[in-house]
Amino acid sequence: MNAAGAILLLLVTGLSGEPRFVTAFHSTAAVMYDAARTMWGVADSSVTYLAEDPAHDAARITGRSTREGIAAAFAELARRSETGDVIVVLLLGHGSGQGNDSRLSLPGPDATAADFAGWLAPLAGRTVVLVNGASGSGDFVAALSGTDRVVVTATKNAAQRNETVFAEHFVRGLTSEAGDGNKDGRVTVLEAFGFARREVQKAYETKNNLVTEHAQIGDSALAGTIAFGTAPASKDPRIVALVAARRVLEQQVEVLRRKKGTMDSGLYERELERLLVELAEKTAEIRAAEGRRP
Amino acid sequence: MNSTIRVIGLAALIGLACAGSAQEDPAALRRRVRALAESGKLAEAEAAARAGGAALAVPLGEVLVLRGRVAAAESTFEVAVASNAPERRTAEAALAELAERRGDPAAARRRADVLVSAYERDGTGWPSADRTAAGRAYVVLAEGNAELNRAALRAFDAAVAADSGAVEPRIRLGDLFLATYNAPDAKASYTDALRLAPKQPRALLGMANVLTFEGSGEAIGAVRRSLAANPALVPAEVLLARHHLDAEHYDSAAAAASRALAVDSTATEAWAMLGATAWLREDTTGYGRARAAALRVQPRPAGFFAAVAEAVARHRRYAEAERFASEGVALDSNHAAALGALGINELRRGNIAGGRAHLERAFARDPFHVWYKNTLDLLDQLAGFRTIMWGRFQIVAAPAEAEFLALYLGPLLEEAYDSLAARYEYRPPAPIRVELYRRHADFSVRTVGLAGLGALGVSFGTVLVMDAPSARDPGSFNWGTTAWHELTHTFTLGLSAHRVPRWLSEGLSVLEERRARPGWGADPALEFIGSLKARTLLPVSRLNDGFVRPSHPGEIGFSYYQASLLCEMIEKEWGRPALLALLRGYRDGLDTPAVFARVLQITPDALATRFDGYLRVRFAAPLAGIAPWDGKGPATGELVDLLEQGRGPNARAALEKAEAIFPLYAGPAAPALGLARLARERGDTRAAVAALARHNTLDESALTSNLEEAALREELGDMPGARAALERLLWIAPYEATLHLRLAAMAEQLGEYPLAVRERRAVVALGPSDLLEARYQLARTLGRAGHTAAARREILSVLEAAPSFEKAQALLLELRKQPDGGMR
Repeated sequence: MNAAGAILLLLVTGLSGEPRFVTAFHSTAAVMYDAARTMWGVADSSVTYLAEDPAHDAARITGRSTREGIAAAFAELARRSETGDVIVVLLLGHGSGQGNDSRLSLPGPDATAADFAGWLAPLAGRTVVLVNGASGSGDFVAALSGTDRVVVTATKNAAQRNETVFAEHFVRGLTSEAGDGNKDGRVTVLEAFGFARREVQKAYETKNNLVTEHAQIGDSALAGTIAFGTAPASKDPRIVALVAARRVLEQQVEVLRRKKGTMDSGLYERELERLLVELAEKTAEIRAAEGRRP
Repeated sequence: MNSTIRVIGLAALIGLACAGSAQEDPAALRRRVRALAESGKLAEAEAAARAGGAALAVPLGEVLVLRGRVAAAESTFEVAVASNAPERRTAEAALAELAERRGDPAAARRRADVLVSAYERDGTGWPSADRTAAGRAYVVLAEGNAELNRAALRAFDAAVAADSGAVEPRIRLGDLFLATYNAPDAKASYTDALRLAPKQPRALLGMANVLTFEGSGEAIGAVRRSLAANPALVPAEVLLARHHLDAEHYDSAAAAASRALAVDSTATEAWAMLGATAWLREDTTGYGRARAAALRVQPRPAGFFAAVAEAVARHRRYAEAERFASEGVALDSNHAAALGALGINELRRGNIAGGRAHLERAFARDPFHVWYKNTLDLLDQLAGFRTIMWGRFQIVAAPAEAEFLALYLGPLLEEAYDSLAARYEYRPPAPIRVELYRRHADFSVRTVGLAGLGALGVSFGTVLVMDAPSARDPGSFNWGTTAWHELTHTFTLGLSAHRVPRWLSEGLSVLEERRARPGWGADPALEFIGSLKARTLLPVSRLNDGFVRPSHPGEIGFSYYQASLLCEMIEKEWGRPALLALLRGYRDGLDTPAVFARVLQITPDALATRFDGYLRVRFAAPLAGIAPWDGKGPATGELVDLLEQGRGPNARAALEKAEAIFPLYAGPAAPALGLARLARERGDTRAAVAALARHNTLDESALTSNLEEAALREELGDMPGARAALERLLWIAPYEATLHLRLAAMAEQLGEYPLAVRERRAVVALGPSDLLEARYQLARTLGRAGHTAAARREILSVLEAAPSFEKAQALLLELRKQPDGGMR
């Protein structure tokens, strides 16, 4: 996590309509559920999974995804969380409507973007990542964007109403090494978003289809700072010093990379190699100090 | 008095009888004359028209046009106009068309303008025939003008509205739709006309043109039906000549064109067919005669050269087609068909910039031409393609997959070139351009201008065009064998100076596919054997028909296979040099009987007999197990029964017997696949592997069974065998990343580092989800392969993008310890 706060997770799968969507929505939600538990160390009590039919997976699903159920889950999140915590909300299903009336189809009355705005209001001070993977979800960005809040949608507007594949790729990006764009061992929301956009493009191209979903993200700067998967930092002063030294080297590489266009290419490559070797050696030292295999 | 003198004078000029049929109703007489003309009795029609006097001037002019007496026809129509004869407006339209025909577009437009102006002024009260005349005038004016085309359509529609029983405007509508490449609406109009007049020859011909446009094998039957209704229908003979010419039936083509010219010696299209036929037969005198005749008809017959260009291009003579088209453009720099033929053939020969420029000019003149439009759209796409230079080849493909495809195709093409160069004692000029398209429709447009071509690849000589593997579902074709096949054409076309007949070129290509890898090349279907038994396979002399006008959907496949067997027999019985000598014989301009006589010392009939005997010996066992096939439904017979028993209680015995009878069979319900399944069910993995291997060396596109073979061999610890199965899959389902990962791991395990490196490169080129991880793996494998410098470059590049990538950092340090050696 990017901050010292805890992670709380709310998963909602809406009305499926067809058996294949039950499977698709659930498998995506289950990957997220399991990753939160096993990879990010989120406590059982901090994961809420609401679905159309809780009996479908009684071990994971905690309640029914009705409008009332979601409202109650948000109220519970507000009650349990504190300033500095990160709350991740993942919505999966079919969407409709537009603007503040954009909806997620649910058993019983649908939930609108305006409903979500109301439910999110008490979460001020927490960092909220709300991902709406439903079709026609695009207007959620404008309706819900706010301070300390990253809103991600599968589509660019309410008119993109074909079935979407964004959410499954986003979840895969967030929960696997493949989504770790810079290979620093942690996946930011922005990296997962970029990963998912590329994979969506590829999925459509592979089938020689036109892309009918264009994901968008609100506050990409904040999204770049919310990361998952970081191992707890060592308190050993020797290791702390080594990590700090490595961070300096990483910054030097970053500075050098920015100069690439203006430098002699041979000089750039020599300097890059020197820094990268130093960086690699520093990592080896850290690993040795941590007792890990270099 | 004055008007009487004038009519008598004009009547004398054109030889009209002013008396004779006075008691017959002129309208009935006109109908009779036209009915005679429509049934091909032109002399009788002319006599009847002449006997009818001034009232029959227009039908007479029409008959004269059909007989090619253009000047006399013009005079007759002039009389009709001047004397305000019945159907005067029809005469005006005909005069505009005739001016266009003799190469005077300004006069044509002047005439048409007058008629159109009158129609637009007070046409609402005009009868159907006059509205049809107005429509014809619009057509004359409409070249490349969408608004005038629509006006023509409206005029013909108005003619139909004025007389619901009128056939003529319906035919004109069909012709206009077809001229703007709208086959469905053309077909509807002709159908409408035929509903009113079921044997109307021009409507029947219209249907034949639609079928030709659609590439239907039934087109030639439709042409014959129109000729049965009117044996003197010149455009029908021209179309028939074209079909014969396409099938390389030169005698029949020349005969049809000559029959057309016997009716109308001024028919430029017929001269073009006759000229193209002569030229393709190396008859320069005959070609010169046709060319001179076309020049006599009109001084700038660009259409003649465009038609010859198109005809010779259909015989794969692309360079010469370009030359003919250029000649047409030189005569008329605005002639759409000549510009189009020039552009298309330049593109076929790899001159992309020149081709595009000419095609753009053609499209400006003929904006309805779908081939031009589609090709120009495709060229926009092609501009973004990536070209990978690989030895003697330029591999051109979509940027996302060019590098990946080149990894496999480059080495295969180089291998094929060397192998074919040795076998054919010929080296085509490099570079050879190979374009691969991700959408089959794009490949089809590049090839024939329209979507819907059934082929997988085409060779224009040193430009090859084919479906990329992404164009089709995995397992539906083998892209390696397609490339090998098309490259073989490059050799056979080059060695024969593009004169090789289709059957020989295709036969050799399939034969070379079979030589390239076990299982590549066409397989015999059960229906092929059934057809052989029924003696309904095409005879050698008509083998080309199977490629250009198959009589049933399976016949194209039969023809490829049959042609390859014919080549195989020639090679076996006369030796390999005979095949080369055949190609050289065609290069020298000999026709098939002469080539056979020179090289094989045999007549075509004798060769056909010998080939039939060869097939009956080669397939003796399956012939005994298959019933004669009637061309419909699936094959039947004992062998089929045995295959069906492959799921019953005595499956194993039945399938073993079936396989013994027809060991080459790898089609649906192939016995080896059934035997593999049975072996797996009884836990006999080795037997299952053996059966799968038998099948996989017969079926070039076997996806599932190769996957199964690889998995089972891995299970048995037979890594080389598993690797071979995976390598076959590279030509069947190349985009499967897991396939490359498995192959890379297996290759590393076997110490086959070049293969492992290639596979790691393939994974990278596929653009995987985790590209940095894939590049890390590539660097690691490069290191193990001893390519330390390359490994280091790769890992530094990875770390430049992701400096914190710990695994990559570790590899960098490891590589630095081994500056000169590998990591093995």
